[in-house]
Amino acid sequence: MLAQIADEPFIRWDWVGSHLDDIWSRTVEHVQLTVVAVAVGFVIAMALSLIALRWHRTYAPITWISGVLYTIPSLALFALLVPWTGLSFLTAEIGLVGYTLLILIRNIVAGVDGISPEIREAAIGMGYTRARMLWEIELPLALPTIIAGLRIAAVTTVGLVTVTALITLGGLGSFILRGLQRFFTTEILVGVVMSVVLAVAIDLVLVGVEKALTPWARHKADA
Amino acid sequence: MTDAMISLQGVTKTFPGTTSPAVGDLSFDVPEGAITVLVGPSGCGKTTTLKMINRLVEPTSGTIEVAGRDVTSLEAHELRRGIGYVIQQIGLFPHRTIADNIATVPRMLGWDKARIADRIDELVGLVDLEPEMRDRYPAELSGGQRQRAGVARALAADPPVLLMDEPFGAVDPIVRARLQDELLSLQERLHKTIVLVTHDIDEAIKVGDLVAILKIGGKLEQYDDPAEVLRNPANEFVADFLGEDRGIKRLSLIPIRTVDLERGPVVAPDSGMGEAKAVMARYEIDWIAVGERDRIDGWVSASDLDGGRIGDAPIRPFRTTLTPNSSLRDALDAVLSSHTKAAAVFDGDRYLGMLSLDRITEKIVN
Repeated sequence: MLAQIADEPFIRWDWVGSHLDDIWSRTVEHVQLTVVAVAVGFVIAMALSLIALRWHRTYAPITWISGVLYTIPSLALFALLVPWTGLSFLTAEIGLVGYTLLILIRNIVAGVDGISPEIREAAIGMGYTRARMLWEIELPLALPTIIAGLRIAAVTTVGLVTVTALITLGGLGSFILRGLQRFFTTEILVGVVMSVVLAVAIDLVLVGVEKALTPWARHKADA
Repeated sequence: MTDAMISLQGVTKTFPGTTSPAVGDLSFDVPEGAITVLVGPSGCGKTTTLKMINRLVEPTSGTIEVAGRDVTSLEAHELRRGIGYVIQQIGLFPHRTIADNIATVPRMLGWDKARIADRIDELVGLVDLEPEMRDRYPAELSGGQRQRAGVARALAADPPVLLMDEPFGAVDPIVRARLQDELLSLQERLHKTIVLVTHDIDEAIKVGDLVAILKIGGKLEQYDDPAEVLRNPANEFVADFLGEDRGIKRLSLIPIRTVDLERGPVVAPDSGMGEAKAVMARYEIDWIAVGERDRIDGWVSASDLDGGRIGDAPIRPFRTTLTPNSSLRDALDAVLSSHTKAAAVFDGDRYLGMLSLDRITEKIVN
């Protein structure tokens, strides 16, 4: 067996060439798992953040609960969920969404709390209602911090998705898992390299989104 | 005052967790179309008083009326849309261009786009911002430009009342003096009812039509026009607050054009030594001004006179020149910092006359 590994070339390009379809469909699955997790996580985090911002006393319990979710080992969480939700997309997403919440909530709340008090005073003094100020002033100004949170959450999720290979999903993680089971370096490398490429690509997309949405932030350095 | 735009009646504000009120039983009327300055040491409740007018702070008791209507008869945000508000840090929205910042209240009031665009153009011109500033973000502007943009934003929906909380506190003294002048010239055109808060008594005297001097706890110690406050401080607190240099401060309220100017020790360039000596003897000075009619070239020191024609001696220019709109305080400064101990007043190139120290002190005594 060991001799067999030694004889194998590090990468067998012929394997890669004959599995392009498989690589593509696993990549799509990986993107789906990631995007759904971050999108659903963002909606939930936004709702919880608005509650925390409106009633500041709720901030500590909200971050405590999302902090507990964040610290559960991913493998353990999936194992716990399987008896209830099976080896399903839902099981994977419950875990993945849970891990995004702490990062997203912290950044949304920090972004809004970090706005200078005089901007709020000017807004209220000119006749903004609280709700209108939130949508027109506070959230737009918090965007750089919110997107910074989304970037961390997305890159973390790309990594975590590979773990869901253990419940038969996993996107590119399924290559890593199979490769490990068969001592097949080519398959492991395909899984690892493609996950990294995906993480970098998603991060770059979010950087682009931030630039497009916050033209005002670019001018800060000029002043 | 019959034509009060803003009226406070027995207004008290006690903040939670404090025993003594920040503002205690304060009553006064703010007349329409004038600049009323609330001034006093920190902790005197001046900002609290200002913020009760637009309900950023709700009074514990008492009533406040704006244009004859109790401020609590409207929703707070509705009330505020009808009152301009400028704060020290200005609080421009960093994510909006200057044009969009100015458009803030008109948009909330539902003006149509064309009307808002016209109004932005008008205001950018009114506050003297360069037209290309319209599309800049606040971070790209200087402190003075931001302050002008803040005033334009406060004036956008043409509110009859403007509240200004230390509006010039965040800029350097040179820019501050210019912005104060701009506010005064703006007010000459707009005739808004302005309530301005400052801790700077010189600013209060300069920009205020009326000055309300407050003591700790929001006690109104004196409420009058600045000249009267300086002439007759109501009590020791006011006198102390005005400072030792009250007489000099009064000078800043008197423009030179209200004073009779002297022709001064002036001789024609063709005059000879004898005439110059006679004039110097009469004025008891050791210099002489050279010029004819409404033109003046400068002055010559007695030690530089060589006995020939005066116009051929080395003539030095007056270092500081004044205009009829300069204040007597400027004149005093010019007199004290010049060799000649006299200040020449010009209207453009035209020589109007001279002010001596005696003539200025005469005004202080009266």
